[in-house]
Amino acid sequence: MRTLLVWVAGCWTLAGLSPLALANGWNMPVGVTDLSREIYSLHMTIFWICVAIGVVVFGVMFYSLFRFRRSRGAKADNFHENTTVEVLWTAIPLLILVGMAVPATATLVKMYDASDAELDVMITGQQWRWRYEYLGEDVAFTSNMSTPRAQIRGEEARGEHYLLEVDEPLVLPTNRKVRFLMTADDVIHSWWVPDLAVKQDTIPGFINENWVNIDEPGIYRGQCAELCGMDHGFMPIVVHAMEGEEFDEWLAERKEAAAEEALGVDRDWELDELMERGEAVYGSICASCHQAEGQGAPPAFPSLAGNERLIEDVEWHVQTIVNGVSGTAMPAFRSTLNPVEIAAVATFTRNAWGNDTGDAVQPSEIAEQLAQ
Amino acid sequence: MAPKLPPQPPLEHSSAATAGGAAAHHAPPRGMLRWLLTTNHKEIGSLYLIFSLIMFFIGGIFALVVRAELFQPGLQLVNPEFFNQMTTMHGLIMVFAAVMPAFTGLANWMIPLQIGAPDMALPRLNNFSFWLLPVAFLLLLSTLLMPGGGPNFGWTFYAPLSTTFAPPSTTFFILSLHIAGISSILGAINIVATILNMRAPGMRMMDMPLFVWTWLITAFLLIAVMPVLAGVITMMLMDINFGTSFFNAAGGGDPVLFQHLFWFFGHPEVYIMILPAFGIVSAIIPTFARKPLFGYASMVYATASIALLSFLVWAHHMFVVGLPLVAELFFMYTTMLIAVPTGVKVFNWITTLFRGSITFEPPMLFALAFVVLFTIGGFSGLMLAIAPADFQYHDTYFVVAHFHYVLVPGAVFAIMAGVYYWLPKWTGHYPNVRLSQWHFWLSVIGVNLTFFPMHFSGLAGMPRRIPDYALQFADFNLVSSLGAFMFGASQLVFVAVVILCVRGGEKAPAKAWEGAEDLEWSVPSPAPLHTFETPPTFSPHVH
Amino acid sequence: MWSVIKSVLAAFFGVQKERQRRADFETGRPVVFIAVGVVMTLVLIGLVALVATLAAR
Repeated sequence: MRTLLVWVAGCWTLAGLSPLALANGWNMPVGVTDLSREIYSLHMTIFWICVAIGVVVFGVMFYSLFRFRRSRGAKADNFHENTTVEVLWTAIPLLILVGMAVPATATLVKMYDASDAELDVMITGQQWRWRYEYLGEDVAFTSNMSTPRAQIRGEEARGEHYLLEVDEPLVLPTNRKVRFLMTADDVIHSWWVPDLAVKQDTIPGFINENWVNIDEPGIYRGQCAELCGMDHGFMPIVVHAMEGEEFDEWLAERKEAAAEEALGVDRDWELDELMERGEAVYGSICASCHQAEGQGAPPAFPSLAGNERLIEDVEWHVQTIVNGVSGTAMPAFRSTLNPVEIAAVATFTRNAWGNDTGDAVQPSEIAEQLAQ
Repeated sequence: MAPKLPPQPPLEHSSAATAGGAAAHHAPPRGMLRWLLTTNHKEIGSLYLIFSLIMFFIGGIFALVVRAELFQPGLQLVNPEFFNQMTTMHGLIMVFAAVMPAFTGLANWMIPLQIGAPDMALPRLNNFSFWLLPVAFLLLLSTLLMPGGGPNFGWTFYAPLSTTFAPPSTTFFILSLHIAGISSILGAINIVATILNMRAPGMRMMDMPLFVWTWLITAFLLIAVMPVLAGVITMMLMDINFGTSFFNAAGGGDPVLFQHLFWFFGHPEVYIMILPAFGIVSAIIPTFARKPLFGYASMVYATASIALLSFLVWAHHMFVVGLPLVAELFFMYTTMLIAVPTGVKVFNWITTLFRGSITFEPPMLFALAFVVLFTIGGFSGLMLAIAPADFQYHDTYFVVAHFHYVLVPGAVFAIMAGVYYWLPKWTGHYPNVRLSQWHFWLSVIGVNLTFFPMHFSGLAGMPRRIPDYALQFADFNLVSSLGAFMFGASQLVFVAVVILCVRGGEKAPAKAWEGAEDLEWSVPSPAPLHTFETPPTFSPHVH
Repeated sequence: MWSVIKSVLAAFFGVQKERQRRADFETGRPVVFIAVGVVMTLVLIGLVALVATLAAR
C-alpha cells in the first residue's frame, strides 16, 4: 500500500522537524525567574517523555501496519489476551507518572509560597484594562493598550509590539520578591506574562495571590488570558523590570506626582484645563465602550453624544461615573479614578460632541461627594 | 477466528417481515408526517445523523468565520463582539448539536442491531428525544438575530460574564440548553433500558460489542451530569431574571462556584463525547485486522475506570483560579491517573493490529488516523495535567490544539469511521472507495494543518478566544486558517460520498466486511425496517 | 469477600485473568461487586487526598 508508505514518511519528516519546535517563538519561553525556568524544564521533560512513548507506540503501530498487511500475505493470528503484557503496560506508565508527579509537586509547592515578599502590588482586572496599586506606597495607575485603533483596522502600518504595548507599564524591581494580590471589578480576567510564568485569574469578590522574583531587567509582555468580553484581545500587560535602585527612584517620583495631583483637588480648574485632561481620560478609559465620538454601541453601551438625561442632570451623570450602574457593564470608577480625573471626564463628556452644556465640574465637588 | 455469528441467523424472520406484512400491519403515514411520527429506531437514527450533519456544517461555518478573521493580524471581517458570538456558537453547536446527536444516532441505529433487539426499549420517548433537538437548536441559532446578539461568553459561559454582563438573549440560550439537556437525558435512559433489558437470549454483559458497552457507560454519565448542567443554568437564569446572586460577587455570590459546577458537568461531558468513539474504533480495528480485539475485558474495565475517574478531575480546568494547594495536587494526581486506562486502550488497539491480516478500507483509514491523532491529543493532555506547567498552557492555543485533537480527529473521525463502516448496512451499497480516500486524505492533512500549528502559537504565548493577535503569531495562524478551509471543503466530499452511497453503488451482502463479526451483520443489507422481530439465538464466544 | 476485593482491585488496575473473570461473573452477585467498587472508589479518593495533603506540607 503506497499511501501507507507516504504516511510513514510524513510522520518521520514531522519527527525530524521537531527540533525546529525548540527554536525561539515556537516554544514556551524559558523566562526570567527561577520558577519560570523550573516550569520550562518540567515542560520539556514531559514533552520528551511523550516523544519517547510516541516513538515506541507509533513505531510498533506502523511496523504492524506495514508488516501484517494482507497484501503482503499476512495471515491473522488469533491471540487476544496476555495478562503479563497487560500488567506491564499498565504498571510502566503508572511508574512514569509517579516519576513525573514528584518534581511537579515540588515546583507547585514553591509556587504557592508567597511569604516574605518585599513589595505588594494589587492587580485589578477591569473591562478592558489593568489597574496597578503599589500597596502602602500611595501609587496607583491604570494601564491601557496604546496600540492605535487605526493599526487594528489596517489604516496604519503595524508597529513591532502591535497589541502588546501599553500607556503605563507595571514597573517592578529585579531581585526582590514581589507579591501580587489579584482581583477584578467586573468579570473574570487572567493576568499572564509568559516570561514570568505567572498566570492567575482575577476574580470579582476574590483576592488571589501569586509572586515573582525577576532576575533580569527588561521589558516583558503578556495578555489577558480569560475571555472577558468584547475587548478581551485588547488588554495587554507590559512589565518593566528595573534594578532595585532605579526602581526606588521611579517609585519616589511617582509618589511625588501623586501627592501633587492630590493638591490639585482643592483649587478651581478652568474649563479648558478640565477638557484637555478629560479628553485624555476619556480616550484611555471610556472610549473602548462608549466609542471615540461618544456614539456608544447600543444596547449594551449607550450613546453619550446627545444623551438627554446626561445633558439635563449633572448629579445623575456624576453619580453614574462614581458608582456605576449595577446590573450593566458600567463599572464604578470611585476607586479607579481620582477626583481630578472624574471631574475632568465628566466635564469633557458634558461639553464634547455637541453636548455643549458649558458646565465645568470641579474636582473639589467630586472629592466632597467621595468623602460622604 | 471465533465463530461469533449465530449458527442459524434469523434472516428468514426479518426478510419475511419486510417482504410480507410490515408495511401492511404498521401502515406508516407518508411524507413529512412519517418522519415526525416515526418510532422506528432506524428512522430516528437516520434523523439524528442527518440533523447532526447539518449542524456540523453550521458549526463549521462559524469556525470558518473565526479562522477567516484570524487569517492575518488586524480586524478585517467582523467586529470583536460578533467574533465572540462565533467562537461561542461554534463550540456550543459542535458539542451539543453535532457530536452528541451523531453518537446518539449511531446508538439508535446500531445498538438494537448489535444486541439483537427489535427496536429501542421506549420508541415513543425516542421520537420525543429527537424532535426536541431541532427545537432547541433553532432557538439557540435564533439568538444570533436578537438585539444585542447571541451568546458571546464562550461555550463554557463563565459567570459573571454570562450573567450580569451577558446579552439579553442569554435567557433563550438557557432555555435551549435545557431542552437539549432533556433530550440527552431521555435518550440516555432509553439506551440504558434497551441494553439492560433487550439483549438477545444468551448474550451476557461481557458478550456485548464494545460499542454497546461504551454507550452503556456513556448513558450513565449523561444521566449523572446533565442534571448538573440543568442546575447551573437554572442558577444563571435566576441571577439574570430573578435578582438572586449565586454567581454575583457584589451580592455575596461566588463566581468560582460556577466553574466548579460547570466542570463537574463538563469533564464527564468530554468523556461522553469520546467513549462511544472508543467503541466504534474497537469494532472497526478487529474487523479489518481480521483478528479478535485484544484485551476485551480490560477495554471494558478501562472504559469504566475512565468514566469513574472523570468525576474526580474536574478542577484541572481550574488550575489558575486560585485553588488551595491541596486541591491543586489532588486534581493533578487524579488527572495523571486517567492517562493510564486511556493508554491501555491505545495499547490494546495496537496489539490487535499486531500479527493481524490488515487491509485499509475507508472505515479502517479513519480508525487508524483516530488512534494516531487521538494519542497526540492524549500526549498534550498529559502535559496539561502537570499543574505547574499548566500555569503557562492554560487558556492558550495549546489547549485549543489539545481538545481539537481529541475531538476532531478523535470524536469526529470516529463518527466518520462508523458511518463508513455501517453505510453498507444502512444503504445496501458500499461507499465509493476513490471518493472516500480523497475525503480521508484531505481531512487528515486539513486537520493537522489546522491544529498542529496551534501547539506552537499557544506555547509562544497566544491566548485563546482573541479576535486579533500580535505579529509573531501571524505565520501559525495563516497555516491554521488555510488548513481549516481545506478541512471544511473536504467535508463536502463526505456529503457527496454519503449521497452517492444512498442512491447506488456496489451492492453489499449481509456481512459487508469479511472480518466483521457482530450481530448486525446477520441481517440483510440494507437492513429492513424491522429486524429481529423474533430474537436471534446468540452463541456466546470467547472474546 | 477477599476474592471480591481482589477482583475489584484487578478491575481498578484494569487487568484480570480470564478464568477469574469468568468465575466472578458466574458465581458472584453484581450488587456485592458494585458495593465494594463504590467503597473502594471512596478509599481511592481518600488515598489521593491524603497523598496531596502530605505533599502540600
